[in-house]
Amino acid sequence: MKRNHSATQWLRNVAASAVVFGASLAQAEPLKIAYSDWPGWTPWSIAIEKGWLEGIEVEFEWMDYVGSLDAFAAGNLDGCHMTNGDALVIGVDQPSICILINDYSNGNDMFIAAPGFDDVPSLKGKKVGLEEGFVTHLLVLQALEDNGMTEEDITIVNTPTDQTPQVLKTGAVEAVAAWQPSSGTALREVPGSKVVFSSAEAPGLIYDCLFVTPESLKEHRETWMKLIGVWYKIVEYMKDEDNLDEALEILAKRVSVTPEEYEPFLDGTYILTLEEALPIWKEAEGFGSIYGSSKISDDFNVKYGVYEAPMDYKAFIDPSLIAEFAAE
Amino acid sequence: MPSSPPKSRKPWFKVRGSLPSSRVTLLMGASFLLPLAVWSFFAYTPGLWPVSFELRIATDLRGQVANPAAPEEPHVFQTIYRPGRDVMEKEVFQAYQKMVRHKNEEIRAYLAGTSLLPSEIRLSARSNKKVLRRLHPIAVEMAWMTEEQDTADERFYALWRDLATGEKRLPNRFLSQENLEIVQANWEVLSAASPTYQSSLFPKEPLLHLVPSGKKAIGRPSYLPAPHEVFLAAQQLIEGTSAREDSSLFTRYQTSLAIVFGGFLIACLVGIPIGLLAGTFAFFSKLFEPFVDFFRYMPAPAFGTLLVFLLGSHEAPKMTLVFLGTVPQMILMVANTTRTLDASLLDAAQTLGAGRGSLIFRVVIPGILDRLYNDLRILLGWAWTWLVIAELLGVKSGLTEIIDTQGRRFNFDIVYAVILLIGFTGFFTDQILQALRCVFFPWVGEKQNWIGKAVARIRQWFLSKPATKGEKVVRKQAA
Repeated sequence: MKRNHSATQWLRNVAASAVVFGASLAQAEPLKIAYSDWPGWTPWSIAIEKGWLEGIEVEFEWMDYVGSLDAFAAGNLDGCHMTNGDALVIGVDQPSICILINDYSNGNDMFIAAPGFDDVPSLKGKKVGLEEGFVTHLLVLQALEDNGMTEEDITIVNTPTDQTPQVLKTGAVEAVAAWQPSSGTALREVPGSKVVFSSAEAPGLIYDCLFVTPESLKEHRETWMKLIGVWYKIVEYMKDEDNLDEALEILAKRVSVTPEEYEPFLDGTYILTLEEALPIWKEAEGFGSIYGSSKISDDFNVKYGVYEAPMDYKAFIDPSLIAEFAAE
Repeated sequence: MPSSPPKSRKPWFKVRGSLPSSRVTLLMGASFLLPLAVWSFFAYTPGLWPVSFELRIATDLRGQVANPAAPEEPHVFQTIYRPGRDVMEKEVFQAYQKMVRHKNEEIRAYLAGTSLLPSEIRLSARSNKKVLRRLHPIAVEMAWMTEEQDTADERFYALWRDLATGEKRLPNRFLSQENLEIVQANWEVLSAASPTYQSSLFPKEPLLHLVPSGKKAIGRPSYLPAPHEVFLAAQQLIEGTSAREDSSLFTRYQTSLAIVFGGFLIACLVGIPIGLLAGTFAFFSKLFEPFVDFFRYMPAPAFGTLLVFLLGSHEAPKMTLVFLGTVPQMILMVANTTRTLDASLLDAAQTLGAGRGSLIFRVVIPGILDRLYNDLRILLGWAWTWLVIAELLGVKSGLTEIIDTQGRRFNFDIVYAVILLIGFTGFFTDQILQALRCVFFPWVGEKQNWIGKAVARIRQWFLSKPATKGEKVVRKQAA
């Protein structure tokens, strides 16, 4: 009996020390944040390159966009860069909170048709390669709606965004939807292909943001605040034309294109300054507000069966950090 | 010396006959040269691909031009083309030039006050500076500038001045008369603003754009770079000078090796003991092998998403994938190899009183060691085949990230260079392991491969070297 008792005691001790050890590990572990090749998020590489993240307990992971969403949904990340619409889609598995609006898509999300197709209506009955249920899907639905069409009028072929150039080139589909740099590659590699619709025609449909898990926001609010500070340092740096060449070199290398190719991306992704972002954080209807835009995405997602019931999209937005940062 | 029969009488084609080693070496070389020859044929034969132009001067302008051959399919230029990289078919290239000429007309009309500025042309010093920079590839070709000076606006300013005033001259193939006139017209605007470069005085009114120019090139499809281009890409990757690939090849190579060997090592730790047990005792054979046999038909990559969920997005799921892809084969192969051990050896050992433990460690393992070694060599090759799929899981890493990203940008020269690196690594590892087999297990009597022969020759050379004075003294003392 005594022996047994001491054994349980020992086990308890081990378990307790394991918990302590695990907890200390968890504390030392930096926050993991995914970012991908969207031109609104690639600028983090400037901060990484220049050492602006030193002293902040974060680790940036360079991933495929949809890969990063999967990893976020699996609980492997504390923060993930997503569009406001996709955050709702992922929200079914992993609720998240938007703490930073990086940019709005202003043309870099493109609906590209093969040679011979001039506009959206000409694609009736044709195959379109895009990533089902994600941002480019939303874009195409908007394009169809604007042209008095529905999803029934096209056949969607589920294609990873970064493989759309290859797929369009092989002729397996008549059109693709992708963002830069993939869309630019498609336009170059398929001579005669053209943009039939882009996010420039619906600015505010797609906001690109940093979403974080509710737990990490609760526990690491300070760290997230610091990160917001770094982001606006990046924005300030990029908006100064004297830095542009240096910035382009870092950005272009990150996504394996040339600086000349990268420069037009800056127009297609409108990176918001703090002053420009503040009005977007206000609750309002329509594309001018992140709330309005998310509401539109939510309606779309329900209407087209991406998920069944409307989401509480307001719970995905927390303007308090930005308000605090702006007040400083 | 026995006279050998004249060489010509040895037949090249003898059914099941072996060939002399000189011919084997020759054929081995040929087996590599043959695919290279096929590749070169398709890459270099001029008539196979349409006459095209490799861009020397590109443009930042975008637009479209009517196509007289197919009115419903105009030539569209909506992306930025890369000088030195992009090759355009003649017809498209001419349309590209036409587009720029047309835009220049519009700019001229705007400057003359007869029309509005086309919407995509901006009134900014930045876009004008970029017009000047478009001479960079030519300046590099003329050795007037280095690769890195692609944003050295001061130098471009001076270059345009020198070209406009005739101080510097370029052959017509570099700068056509048409473009020279554009240079001169622009210089008038520039020099009126400031004779030397001053960022703040850089004019904002639109400059004319250089008409694209290029040199004739073979219009190979992008997936077919020429051997020399791949070689060049490999060289740049190794030196770390590639303009299109940022990462260090060496670090990535290390990461990939760690995944393959890590996964393989874990597979060995699990697979070999189970295989040995299953091969020795029917109990374990019946307990393990049916499930393993079933499991090996489930493709390892099918577990990819699950592994990322369970193990995160770094090395762990990748090594596990290599492990999952290798271990079922390993268990079955090791078990089968163990069963090939001569049963009389086991009987004899048991007669002599060997227990189960010593049976395995003193009879089975020594008995099959050489064949086990060979199995592992083959299985290592198996592990390599999972590398690319494994490295795509979670955060892309290693050589695969280069292959993947560069493939998506259609930079196939870099892609092929990396694929070849993987191929050579696997090949040489295998050859070395095969050579070492003869060193470790000389009794197997397997024919040595070329590496084995080289090793043997080196060893012989060392052994036959006369001992030095010091060595003699040492030997004497030892005696």
